[in-house]
Amino acid sequence: MASHNGRVPTDDAHERASEPPDWIGPDRRAVPLGSEPDYRFTLANERTFLAWIRTALALAAGGLGALNLIENFYGQEIVGFLLLGLSATAAVNAYRRWRSVELAMRLEQPLPNSRLPMIVALGTTVIGLAVAVLFALGEW
Amino acid sequence: MTEPTPGRGRRPRSERRRRRIRNRPERRFDDGLQHERTALAWERTAISGVVAGAVLVRAANAEGLSVFVLVGLLQIAIAGGVLLWASLHYEELHGVLRRGDSVVHPHATRLVGVTTIGFTFAAVGFAVVTGVGQLLA
Repeated sequence: MASHNGRVPTDDAHERASEPPDWIGPDRRAVPLGSEPDYRFTLANERTFLAWIRTALALAAGGLGALNLIENFYGQEIVGFLLLGLSATAAVNAYRRWRSVELAMRLEQPLPNSRLPMIVALGTTVIGLAVAVLFALGEW
Repeated sequence: MTEPTPGRGRRPRSERRRRRIRNRPERRFDDGLQHERTALAWERTAISGVVAGAVLVRAANAEGLSVFVLVGLLQIAIAGGVLLWASLHYEELHGVLRRGDSVVHPHATRLVGVTTIGFTFAAVGFAVVTGVGQLLA
């Protein structure tokens, strides 16, 4: 397995990798920046980003459902707000994380840390517990 | 890789199939089917986007908030476009990999990222508007 800045070990793919590839630079325009990482890592980063985007969309759908589709559930507004807030947080950080990881790979720097997994894990745990408590209170 | 022969589309189906099989690469160039998994991830994400947009359309329609219905419809349209692009781009990615070009999609990723950020903020806005409406009622 090549390192994350290694070259593709098959065929003549990435023969042109010595040319700087286009990338969205600090001024938000496509500019040559760093060197092209192994395409497998680029695609893995992209899939991770897409998984976070799906998480954000699922949280948004859950929040909208809590607000609008559930009936006779005390506290549904709070649950809906919390889910939608978590969804927006996940969406914003998913994009920032994808960009910073791609930049780090291009510039051959260590991958950045992210608090997003912790935030989403804690958030869903707290919201799940809150739903359980509210449901118990509503039944009682 | 298919040859850029003029009138390629008019060949009989059986011949086109034979040509496709003959033109398959002999060496493995996509370890772990990376591009296929990535294309599937794009398609899953696009389908999730359509579903989330539909939920917003339904919720906003129930509340009679046509602006948010439009936002939901826009989300469905963009996610549908991404679904179409992902399916078409999957074929092209073979060519990209063989040519050794960059496989990163900064523009598509930025579009999906910005669209999802906008959608989630619109959903928060919807929640605020309905919450304020309920307080005033």
